Order: sequence, then C-alpha cells, then structure tokens
Amino acid sequence: MATRSSAPVVIGALVVLVLAVAPMGLSPFLTQFLINLFMLAALAESWNIIGGFTGYASFGNVAFFGIGAYTTGVLLSVLEWPFALALPLSGLVAMAFAALVGMPILRLKGHYFAIATLGVAETMREIVYNLKITGGGTGLTMPITKNPLPFFYLMLGILLAATVVNWWLSASRFGYGLVAIREDEDAAMAMGINAALYKTAAFALSGAFAGLVGGVFAYWITFIDPEGVFKVITTIQMIIMAVFGGMGTVVGPLLGALVLASVSELLSTHLVSLAELFNGIIVILVVLFMPKGLADAIRKREFSLRQLARNLREYRV
Amino acid sequence: MALVEARGVTKRFGGLAAVSEVSFDLQDGEILGLIGPNGSGKTTLVNVVTGALPYTAGEVRFRGDSIRGRPPYEIGRMGVSRTFQIVKPFRNLTVIQNVMVGALFGARGGAATLSEARRRAEEVLDFVSLSHRAEMAADGLNVPERKRMELARALAMRPTVLLLDEVMAGLNPAEIDAAVALIKRIRDRGTTLIVIEHVMKAIRDLSDRIMVLFHGEKLTEGPPAEVLSNPDVVSAYLGRRYAERAGA
Repeated sequence: MATRSSAPVVIGALVVLVLAVAPMGLSPFLTQFLINLFMLAALAESWNIIGGFTGYASFGNVAFFGIGAYTTGVLLSVLEWPFALALPLSGLVAMAFAALVGMPILRLKGHYFAIATLGVAETMREIVYNLKITGGGTGLTMPITKNPLPFFYLMLGILLAATVVNWWLSASRFGYGLVAIREDEDAAMAMGINAALYKTAAFALSGAFAGLVGGVFAYWITFIDPEGVFKVITTIQMIIMAVFGGMGTVVGPLLGALVLASVSELLSTHLVSLAELFNGIIVILVVLFMPKGLADAIRKREFSLRQLARNLREYRV
Repeated sequence: MALVEARGVTKRFGGLAAVSEVSFDLQDGEILGLIGPNGSGKTTLVNVVTGALPYTAGEVRFRGDSIRGRPPYEIGRMGVSRTFQIVKPFRNLTVIQNVMVGALFGARGGAATLSEARRRAEEVLDFVSLSHRAEMAADGLNVPERKRMELARALAMRPTVLLLDEVMAGLNPAEIDAAVALIKRIRDRGTTLIVIEHVMKAIRDLSDRIMVLFHGEKLTEGPPAEVLSNPDVVSAYLGRRYAERAGA
C-alpha cells in the first residue's frame, strides 16, 4: 500500500491548479486530447478499485460505462431532462447495476470471474441493441453543445474524485479489507472480513465512477450507439493502463493513462497501424520487466536485465 | 457452562466421513490438545467449527449461542480465531500490515483507526518476537516465521478462543520450547486454546487435556499422561503390532 506523505498531495494540488486554468489558453485539439485523457484515467482508476485493490480482474467494466452513457442519453434526448439531473443518475444506475450483478458473479474467482464479466458486458450491448427506448442499433443523438469547457471540468472532477477514493482505499480500514481479500480470501474471512459485502461494495464503487464517466462521454460526444459504448477494447484499455502504471496503487492508473494515451495519440496521427500494435507490445514488456507497474519501477529505479531474470523466476512467466 | 460445547459434529465429503459424531467441551482458560494421525479429521474439525466448511450434522455452541451456519467472519468477530496449517500470508503486504488486518477486523469490530491498529500490531509482534521483521514483505519470511506471523495475526484479533493448527511444524527443538512457552503465555493472558500438534513432547507439556481423533471419530480424551499411554492411542499412531510389542 502507498505510504502517506505530503509531497504527492502538494504536487497533485499544483497539477490540478494548472489544469483548472489551462483550457483558457489551449488549442481545441489539446482540449479534446485532455478531456479524452481524463476520461481514460478516470476509467483506469475506477477499474483499479475492483481489479487492483480487490484483485478481481473485471473484463466487463465497459458495461457500467455504457449503462452510464445510455442513462444520460435516454434522459437527455428522449425524456428531455436537464443534464445536471441526468448525470448523477448515470452514476447511481451503474452503481446499482454493478451491485446487483456483482452479488452472484463475485462468487466466481480468477478466469471464471473474468469470463462472467465479459459476458455481462456483451449481454448489455445486445439488450440495448434490442430496446426501443435506447434507439436500438441506430443509437441516440444528444442536443449539441459547442463549448467543450464544461466537459473538460466534469471529466477532471470525476478523475479527481476517483483518485481521491483510490487514495482513501490505500489508507483506510475498508481498503485494508479489500487488499486482504485480494491476497487471500479465506484468511481474510477468518480474520473477520465480510468478503461478500466488501467485494460487492468495491464493484459498485467501481461501477459508479465508470457510469459517471459514461454519462459525461455521451453528452460530450453527442452521439451514442451500442457498438460504440460497449466495446470490449474500452475495458482492455482500462486494464492495460492500470497494469502498466501499477495495479493497486493510487498514481499507477494515472501514470498509465498519461503515458499510453499520449503515445497512442502520437502514433495514431503518424502511424495508424503501429498504434494498434503498440498496446500489445506494451503488455508484453510490462509483464516481463515490471510486473508491479511503472509506479513501482520508478520508485525502486530498477530497469535491468537482472530484474528481468528475477521477474521471470518469481512470476514463472 | 463450558465456553465451547460441540455436540455430534459431523462432516461428510460424499461417502467419506471426515469428522463423525465428535462431541467435546472446552472450558474457559484451558489448553485442549488435539492429536491424531494424518487424515484423522483434525483440520476438518477446525474448518467446520470456524465456519470455513458447512456441517453435515451436529452443533457447536460458543458461550451458549449456536455458531452453526454462521459465516467465518462472524465467528471471527465473535472471538474465535484460527491459524491455517498451510499458512495463508497476505504476501504483498508487510508483516505489520498483515497483523494490522487482524487488529482492524478482529473481535467486536476491531480497531477503529489505522494508527490504533498499528499500535496493537506492534505490541503483538513484540509479544511473538517478530518485531525485527515488521517492515519486511510477508513473502520474504521463512516458514517458521510465517507461522509466527499467522499466530500474530490471530492474536491481534484479541480472540477469546484460539485454534492453532500445527504452528510448530518445521521448528527445531529449541524453537519448540520457545513456542510452548509462548502458547502458555497466551493462555495466561486469558485466551482459551485448542492446539493441533504432531510434536508429542510439545503437546504433553502444553495441554491440560488431550483429545484424540482417529478416522474422524473421537478415540478418547483425558489428561496427557493417561491419553498418551492409552494402548488404543499408541496403536492408532504406530500400528497394532508396535503397540503389542511395546507391551501396552
């Protein structure tokens, strides 16, 4: 778990301050890039709650994102609610869905859990595809807003909230409970931890943030359809960013999102075919050289061949 | 009224009765030794009592209340803690963090704050002489140290009853003597214990009473000297031929 010190808080506060005044002088391209970056980082932090801290590798978190997007979508474009009411509901509906689905599938472990979550996300896409209120395969169109600034601040705000929650997990009784479940669930239960309740709460919390992000995304992008918001690759991105930066750490998913989003943005403007390949290569390199992620590797300053050999031994890659 | 009353506890796996109709009482403040050959059902009995496995039949009462059907975390919070024969450390946490989990979630809700949990964990680590490893990752401990860390985690829960499943396996004779003294100190601090052990010298020195399991059934129970010289017990452990030759 992260040790408490004031330095990250100070640095974090400075970064937030800079970001808060930044969009006034930014080009439209950079503004869009940053909104996208905040979105990915917030999703990675939200995945980190269930995947990193609790150790349940969810391959279906895009379901919560999609449910959030469609909650705002339907409320905004079909029922014509104000966005300020629709967005919180996106978080609540996704959270309730995660809790409901989590109760049965969190009884599964490892691969079985991963496959079940994948199934949930795929099922949700098909359901949305076949419903009338969601517009089916043709999707939904939101009222258009010209000003990107509200989205900039909303995504930044959700990212901040998700990061604060992760930080809280790293230094609280609840977080210790989740980590104990990740490390050994039987021992955790024998030591007085209500594993079923804790896992469900973590999944619901993870779902709430993904739902909020989805809600903002829907209004920002102005058009959603089932294929677009229930993409498996979105979940994979969350996982890669969290794993790359460091699962179960607070800054890991942030770092992962920053590096990967920047590199893939650069590559996709210059070498489109390489951008796709890049994620795959990153996964292999991370697993081999720094299985605990970038955050851990930077802290220990270990990037040697000896480190590679040790990882191979230790993790039997 | 005994602190723990077990009546007709039975656990079947398919056709195999791992524990069959076992009844016993555990008095407040005593150390009950639980012995029996490999596969006699000792660990299964611990798993059933602590809620890790469901009962086939029978009942266990703790302070008069039935704990059958309660989940393990509830039983842990009621004040019944255990260690695992095959240790289950939280590998990526430090030793003190491992113990803090016990302090945070143990009996009656546990420590309210992390700093209180840390203070309690430090105290317990000192008690089991593991303070010098406090900031080390649990993964880096050797097996006897891991066993001691498990003991520390269970103690940090401040249990009323503590079930120790072979915490002395792999220790040398000097370490066993130290472990026996440690367990006696735990009892003197007010914890009642059930101790599973294969080291006969340790179990004789420790136990107020010994209960013997054989093929899942209770063979006998009584004072150590009496039980360990019982011909049935000797033949259960060493075979009938050895028992006859020894003239028992």
